[in-house]
Amino acid sequence: MTEITRRNTLKLMTTALLLAGVGFSSLPGKAFAAGTITVLNWQGYGTDEAWSLKAFTEKTGIEVVHDYYSSESEMLTKLRTNPGTYDLVVLNAARCAQAVAEDLLQPIDFTKVPNAKTVDDNLLSNPNFSKDGKGYAVPWVWGMTSLAIREGMPVPDSYAALADPAYKGRVAMDDDAIINVGVGALMSGQDINDPKDLAAVTAALKSIKPNVKLLWSTEDQWNKSFAAKEFDLSLFWSGGSVRSKRNSKLPVTFVVPKEGGIGWVDGLGIPVSAPNAEGALAFANWMIDPAFYVEWATKVGAPASSNSAALEALPADDLSRQVHKPEYLKTMGIVSGIPDDRREAFNNVWQEVKAFYAE
Amino acid sequence: MTSLGRFYLIAILVFLYTPILVMMAMGFNASLLYELPFSFSTQWYEALWSNTVLLKAGFNSIVIATITAVLATALGTMASVALSRRTFRGKSLLQLMLLPPIAIPWLITGTAMLIFFYWSGIGRGMHALLIGHVALAIPYVVLVVGTGFKTIRADLEEAAMSLGSTPVHAFFSVTLPLLYPSILGAALFAFAVSLDQFVISYFLATPGYTTLPVQIYSSIRKGFTPEINAISTVLLLGSMTVILIFARFAKPGDTSDKR
Amino acid sequence: MQNDQLTLASARGPSGPRSQRSLPSWVSTTALLMPTYGWLTIAVFLPLLTMFAFSFLSATPMGKAPIVFTFKQYRAFIDQPYLVGIGITSLLIGFWTTLFCAILGFLAAVALVRSTFGKTREMLLILILLPFWTNGLVRVFSWTMVLRENGFLDSLLHMVAPEAGSIGFLYTRYAIVVGLVHGYLPYMILTCYIALSTIDDAIIAAAASLGARWWTILFKILLPLAAPGLISGAVLTFIPVIGSFMEPRILGGRVGVTMGTVIEDQFTQAFNWPLGASLSFTLLAVVLAIFATFSGVLRRGTAL
Repeated sequence: MTEITRRNTLKLMTTALLLAGVGFSSLPGKAFAAGTITVLNWQGYGTDEAWSLKAFTEKTGIEVVHDYYSSESEMLTKLRTNPGTYDLVVLNAARCAQAVAEDLLQPIDFTKVPNAKTVDDNLLSNPNFSKDGKGYAVPWVWGMTSLAIREGMPVPDSYAALADPAYKGRVAMDDDAIINVGVGALMSGQDINDPKDLAAVTAALKSIKPNVKLLWSTEDQWNKSFAAKEFDLSLFWSGGSVRSKRNSKLPVTFVVPKEGGIGWVDGLGIPVSAPNAEGALAFANWMIDPAFYVEWATKVGAPASSNSAALEALPADDLSRQVHKPEYLKTMGIVSGIPDDRREAFNNVWQEVKAFYAE
Repeated sequence: MTSLGRFYLIAILVFLYTPILVMMAMGFNASLLYELPFSFSTQWYEALWSNTVLLKAGFNSIVIATITAVLATALGTMASVALSRRTFRGKSLLQLMLLPPIAIPWLITGTAMLIFFYWSGIGRGMHALLIGHVALAIPYVVLVVGTGFKTIRADLEEAAMSLGSTPVHAFFSVTLPLLYPSILGAALFAFAVSLDQFVISYFLATPGYTTLPVQIYSSIRKGFTPEINAISTVLLLGSMTVILIFARFAKPGDTSDKR
Repeated sequence: MQNDQLTLASARGPSGPRSQRSLPSWVSTTALLMPTYGWLTIAVFLPLLTMFAFSFLSATPMGKAPIVFTFKQYRAFIDQPYLVGIGITSLLIGFWTTLFCAILGFLAAVALVRSTFGKTREMLLILILLPFWTNGLVRVFSWTMVLRENGFLDSLLHMVAPEAGSIGFLYTRYAIVVGLVHGYLPYMILTCYIALSTIDDAIIAAAASLGARWWTILFKILLPLAAPGLISGAVLTFIPVIGSFMEPRILGGRVGVTMGTVIEDQFTQAFNWPLGASLSFTLLAVVLAIFATFSGVLRRGTAL
């Protein structure tokens, strides 16, 4: 290294700068023509499947560009700090209420979303998606966080199994404050969105400690750890379990115990400043189209479509269809928007529990 | 002593390359979930070949890291000259100010940049991305080059000046050659900092523009495939080849470590 | 000392014919510093100052919730006492990581300058720095495959001793430290190497001919020479390690809760930037205090 001379270093740097110049000139410019929409979503979550985008562009002439977020609070930040950039955003019901309250979304013109006619009423009327009688998001997909158990082991019928000594060191928890407080609430017989006795929630979660092996935060981590047989019982997503079982051939069974699953709904919203709201509505309609959904669910593995017509179009033996029974929509608690102070309290509970696990 | 030293260096290399070799091996393992036992397959390299998104992201990363390394090394070395060779009021404060960019986690600095760039009108895009990358690499350069300065005696420069050389000329002809190992090391680190920087690219790039770390981090929610191992392996072996060829053909004889 | 002489020399100006053209030293000092600090001001200091202001607010000032000025975020260590334990854990992880890096890195630098020459040394140094050019997350995931039960480490052991149990230690604090040492060791090796690279072989030869044992040479000659490198390396290791969250999360499993992960959660999950920022700045203050305490010891030779 010491023998690399100055002249050579200068040459290298010049070459580097030239290379950089070439790189710059090949960058795409800011191309937001009338025929383009920008979607803000998690990566690899339905909206960015190449085969679907190709079909959509052929059908409508609209090009779809993506930007991604890696947490929901980041999604809100991106919405706030990039006015005029996004046309469609995927957001959880709980965050939708917040976005609507902050005037980040515009009301949906449902006449331009014909597929919404068959969207389940339970979802369409979900208070998180509407304000003053106007809908602010097209309900898109729903699913549950509940228990997943390795095949061949006894199927638990209650969240109490998480604390069962039979699973010592064999449990993986979802590293998410809202979900865990929900589980703690169900274990202590309370409402997941408004548990009055947070001390009972904390105690229930702390009782799991000897069983907890790890906290997972991504589906990837769950799959790799489960494949390496690091745990047998865990909290998991319904759609994730379908993908793990079908695509990765992992021996996993998804279980909704007697307390019920922790339900969530994701919607498609249009930011107030969207440059191409028309195009966004067309894409939202495409996203709940039975043709798209069946291909998504059977090819890739998806949560349940909000559109009952789409869900019914799945083959009867399809795993997604078996896991997402429509009756759950009436029985499960859905994670909803909550006041800031309560969210802060939930987060403090989970931090305290995690600190206790780590001791 | 010599053989003991070499044996120790080999042990260190084994430690440093353990995860790298695992990474490379898993790029050739058929299992999507990195499961053992190992079964050889080139399917991930074949998949990578047609994955234009990932290839483009890899290319973008190298371009940005290169510009960052050049700019940060130039700026950081200049600052290091002043901090190491001049005395002035407030010097310790300036030195202390290099610590926050290292100490505050990138996630926070990145969020702060996103907000501030939005408020100040700098906005998002390539320029914003580079502003961020270079800024985070500068402290590393100043520290590494500063260490180099400690080992060079200032009186050599003075001697040159007393013989009629200007300070600038004395610097370029006497000090700079001695500093080369540190400057080059600093550039390599600046390159590495940029190559691993995810948050800033993620927050500040225009939608549709992506770099390799962004691809890696945002795909872990759904699962990253061994294609990532494949492209990492290609990048590493590629840069190794370039550097080794470069070192091979660098003119021997100009040994700047001989004082 | 040297610096003073240099300033005097340049203030007097060289006596040669070029002296009229040389600028006053403060002008050139400013010119050298301006680009870097100007750049850092726009890209880092002003944004972080904004974040610092946020840390005195009751909630993230992006929504519509009413915001008031408060010190409550800085009371977090009192209101949530479990944070104290997490803070101590983080400092200990930082301490052990830095210590291992310093020992391994210093010895590697000594081995480089004493046992290798010319091209071999160049190649080795490049090989040491190259792992750094792979993505950090990919490296950490690779460690999980090495360290887990029935992972590569176990496979290797079972090749030698088929009957042995598992020595995999994934999801422990040891695993976190291994991952972090791996991530930061190249910094330490490089800074120590830079400090040692200009050593004069004659000094060591002289010491040896005067009967100095190898440990005398190591501790009395090489260690003081490497001090600037050790200190820079320690700064580049200890400080980022305290705030790291990827390694603890992925390698630590249940025990991987550190200040870094708590802060990350505030930004990604809880959307409580003020608390996340206040915890970060508290951490920064602790780190600066630690370095200030030791600065008397370290003053000689520090690059900072």
